Amino acid sequence: MENFLQAIDTLTIRFALAAVVLPLLAFVINICLPGKSNKVAGWVSTIAILLSCVLSAFVFAKVWNQHQVHQQQLWFTIGATKVYAGVLLNNLSALMLLLVSVIALPVHIYSTAYMKEDENYKRYFTYLSFFCFSMLALVVVDSLVLFYVFWELVGFSSYLLIGFWYTRPKAIMANKKAFIMNRIGDIGLLTGIIILFTQYHTFDLEQLFGQNGLVQSATQISATWQYIACAGIFLGVAAKSAQFPLHTWLPDAMEGPTSVSALIHAATMVAAGVFLLGRVYPLFNPEELIILAVIGCFTAFMAATIALTQNDLKRILAYSTISQLGYMIMAMGIGAYASSLFHLVTHAFFKCLLFLAAGIIIHEVQHIKDENQLHIDPQNILYMGGLRKKMPLTFIACIVAGLALIGLPFTSGYLSKDGILIQAFEWSEGKSWAFKLVPIGALITSWLTAFYVTRLIVKVFFGDFKLLKINPSIKLHISDGAWQYRVPLIFLAICCLFPLFSLNPVLYEHAWLFGGFSKITALDRVNIYHTIIPAGVNILSVLIIYWAYSVYIKQKALAFPETGFLFKLSYHEWYIDPFYNRFIIAPVMALGKTSQWIDRNIIDGFIHLLQRLALGFAKIAEWTDRYIIDGILHLAASIVLGIGNFARYFQGGKVQYYLFSMLAIILAIFLFKILI
Amino acid sequence: MNILSLLIFTPLLFGLLILLLPSAWRASFKYITLLATLIQLGISVWMYIHFKTGASFGGINQESQFQFTQKLPWINLNLGSMGKMQIDYFVGIDGISIMMVMMTCVVMVIAALASWEIKSNLKGFFALFLLLNMALIGVFCALDFFLFYIFYELMLLPLYFLIGMWGGPRREYAAIKFFLYTLFGSVFMLLVMIGLYLSVKDPATGNHTFNIIQMMNPANYDANSVFAVLGHQTILGMPARTVGFVVLFIAFAIKVPIVPLHTWLPDAHVEAPTPVSIILAGILLKVGGYGIIRICLGIFPEIASSGAFWLGLLGVVSIIYGALNALAQRDLKRMIAYSSVSHMGFVILGIASQTTEGISGAVMQMVSHGFLSTMLFFLAGVIYNRVHDRDIYNFRGLGTLMPKYTTFIMIAFFASLGLPGFSAFIGEAFSLVGAFESPSVNGALPYWMAVCGSVGILLSAAYFLWTLQRMFFGSLSLKGGEVWKTALVDLNIRETITLLPLALLTLVLGVMPSLVFDKINDSVLALIHYIGVK
Repeated sequence: MENFLQAIDTLTIRFALAAVVLPLLAFVINICLPGKSNKVAGWVSTIAILLSCVLSAFVFAKVWNQHQVHQQQLWFTIGATKVYAGVLLNNLSALMLLLVSVIALPVHIYSTAYMKEDENYKRYFTYLSFFCFSMLALVVVDSLVLFYVFWELVGFSSYLLIGFWYTRPKAIMANKKAFIMNRIGDIGLLTGIIILFTQYHTFDLEQLFGQNGLVQSATQISATWQYIACAGIFLGVAAKSAQFPLHTWLPDAMEGPTSVSALIHAATMVAAGVFLLGRVYPLFNPEELIILAVIGCFTAFMAATIALTQNDLKRILAYSTISQLGYMIMAMGIGAYASSLFHLVTHAFFKCLLFLAAGIIIHEVQHIKDENQLHIDPQNILYMGGLRKKMPLTFIACIVAGLALIGLPFTSGYLSKDGILIQAFEWSEGKSWAFKLVPIGALITSWLTAFYVTRLIVKVFFGDFKLLKINPSIKLHISDGAWQYRVPLIFLAICCLFPLFSLNPVLYEHAWLFGGFSKITALDRVNIYHTIIPAGVNILSVLIIYWAYSVYIKQKALAFPETGFLFKLSYHEWYIDPFYNRFIIAPVMALGKTSQWIDRNIIDGFIHLLQRLALGFAKIAEWTDRYIIDGILHLAASIVLGIGNFARYFQGGKVQYYLFSMLAIILAIFLFKILI
Repeated sequence: MNILSLLIFTPLLFGLLILLLPSAWRASFKYITLLATLIQLGISVWMYIHFKTGASFGGINQESQFQFTQKLPWINLNLGSMGKMQIDYFVGIDGISIMMVMMTCVVMVIAALASWEIKSNLKGFFALFLLLNMALIGVFCALDFFLFYIFYELMLLPLYFLIGMWGGPRREYAAIKFFLYTLFGSVFMLLVMIGLYLSVKDPATGNHTFNIIQMMNPANYDANSVFAVLGHQTILGMPARTVGFVVLFIAFAIKVPIVPLHTWLPDAHVEAPTPVSIILAGILLKVGGYGIIRICLGIFPEIASSGAFWLGLLGVVSIIYGALNALAQRDLKRMIAYSSVSHMGFVILGIASQTTEGISGAVMQMVSHGFLSTMLFFLAGVIYNRVHDRDIYNFRGLGTLMPKYTTFIMIAFFASLGLPGFSAFIGEAFSLVGAFESPSVNGALPYWMAVCGSVGILLSAAYFLWTLQRMFFGSLSLKGGEVWKTALVDLNIRETITLLPLALLTLVLGVMPSLVFDKINDSVLALIHYIGVK
């Protein structure tokens, strides 16, 4: 294959490799740097990601909508099987490469300010660079083994970063949970990969899923194993992309630094599941796609209902991320491949922006807390309010990102999300009524999104500052912060608007990104959905925004009482965590205890029984030895002794006695003779 | 002098040297031991580099394909009408043994460095240590069953004393338990060995022979002998060859150890001093795995094929059961000991699959586990040396107090739980690949076994992460208070230079598994071919 590569393609591959390896280099340099809070570390990592960004842009320009570039090298041979390592660049991977580095760059810049007072500054950037390396490598590799390798390394760096403040008990509980949840997905993915390997004898993504790939042309896989392979891969997707039932780690993962949440738990890593679906898409058959759609839709809806009542700023955003990821999975399920990836890209920008803004807000509230020695949770939105005057840039950024999240026109979110909704309705057309639940669920979710986003923004930025009401003596020294905060916000806010993706603000089909994954035909936009749905969704969304605004600002009565079952269900996150604790974790722990008991009492008990038996036999043998064998011996000895003693008795040395006995014997013999 | 024999007997020479030196020089003993292990390491590296690969160096059942061989007549008795007794000193290595030898030499260096903690009766300790060293290398090189058995039994004696004299509070119990468990296996092995001897004849001389490689050729068996391949003899109503296989398997299964023959392991590990724990987990367990491949699969291939299901079942049970037990432990060393049971289960599963991927994965897992368990036990020893406590509940937040130590713990834990990039991942993943492949290739194992095996990967994440969270993260709090706080100093230079090569080795093997696979591929292919032929 190498021989056919043109020189320019080799250059592209080299650039892509350099883009991947640079953060690894930064990671190594940072490890070697002296000092715990060495500020050089921030620069090393940021420069590395900047260069990666430039290289990725070049790669993207060379690959997008052109032929794919694939190069590989022998990694190792096991038995007779050769395992290759290589780079596969096509529209999907080039886009992801660019997206990850472009999102990572502002986050790095932001982090240099956000983490500057942390004593483990160097460690933070070391981990961050490692994450970037793993993530960038994940998107370009060409074999399933390598994909799995980086898939887990991404999870591992996420583990390190969630538990960055490892002295906080909540953080280390959260990172353990995240890793184990992801491990469940990993086993699924590994199982899927191995099944594919045993069926097709290759790990190569292109050979498996490329045009006329083995998955489509060869049919030697049995139906059951096809289902199990898909289920395994879906498990991997569900764990990484936080889909029901493996989503509960993501809200807890918010214990990590907010900049990390922005990069990993909103924009990039959690999208890896969707990316995986994109890579292995031909594997799924129609029934499995329906399952994907249903789970995605359900997750989107469930997460949105939970986000309605949460009070922790980051938790709301986390559930919103889960909900949006649900949209992407659903879009994959209904065959809206292009829209799913489009939404992945737009979501990355606006969710990253929301998190970065949240980070600034939390940072400032924390500042107030420290300054006034208050005992409050700096992430609780109930203590905030009226911040728009103090932090205008953050406010504007949040509005832009919020509108994009709701999906109102002129934002990128509108283009991608309405595409999904429209295609969902098209998909359910001609199917039974049950299939209608998917698009309707997605539609309701979209309105729920409008509500919780408005609630969030209103509670944080409008009204009065709640802390001042509790404690009027507080002095507020808060602002938007340094340029390292402002520049990323402005950059990302611009990326949340429509011009980056399409010159036409209302027609998603015209977006270049959409076109890159889907061939547009003239027949598009024929049906009524293309008009009715955007209009319906947005008009109702605007009404809901107004309603939410009036509920929270004008203190109108809430539609739902805070004591009702639905409120509790939402507030307690559908009771999923307690369920897992009780019905999965506790039984496993009990099983562990039981097996330990078996070990100690049954297996060792058996050994000890053997030991006691052996000792018992030994005792019996000893007794036999002592009393029977020795007894016989002693008996013989004592008999001999007795006879000896008896005989000795005759040789007493008394002469009279000798005479007497002689006489007696002679007499006896004499008598004997007479009688016989 | 044959290089392999040199490798085997170097430690014996140094051991004699230590015995001859006056006890007043006891401070030098550890350096002499270290020197011996380093010389061995040098020799084994030389052998590794000069080890030839290719289809004509497969080994397994071709005597001519073994390398560095030496064959000397050893015990030759003329028994009159019963022919001649022929026992050879016959050593040689193929792809599977070279990796075991290599790993043993590395682990022995580490164990020698860990012996710095031994303070009493140094002469005895190091002499026994070097004797054990010789026996371990010998086991991996011996190609004559009699020689193999001698080395095999010779491992027991030093280990018994090393545990029983330098161990923890319950050392006598642990030592005797270990000794009896292992002896139980090897006594019956002796019977099978003699049975094999009486069944096999050297085609060249016509004498009975202990040559393992000749035992692999069905043509060498006497037609009416007890283990004749075509004879279908029975012992107590059961096919003789099945009995032979089972007996040998039990002997090695105790070493591996396979559930339910494993309970000597936690006790022995907990009571043994650190260097002995390292040798136990790092090398001794591999003797079991190696024995199953070389002897059980080699001499009784057809039984191994028909009994693969049971082998696989034992492997899966070990994986899951060991992991569940590890989850319930509160003693750090015990937890690691049970994790060894679980990880060695993958070896059995891989061997049972009888596919190239599975057996290669199993060998890789053995090598990897050799390094990782060494690292884990060394780390557990570090903390025990400082405060004489290993209870996981008695520590919290060690990350702040001992950052370097925690870094190595994290490397060891994550490498052990199969994080890609480290060697254990390759080993476990390819053992599982083999297990998944088996149903469609040779039907040895059912699919569900492979699926169950992968659950072990999840459980290992659970117990390692739980320990990390409980012991190393969180805010600092120690049972021993200030006393412990001052006692728990971070790693010193000796400890760091011990751990660093191990960490690098497992990383390098994880990134470049070809370092192992290139050497073993031909042998594994030859083995698979050989098993398939039968």
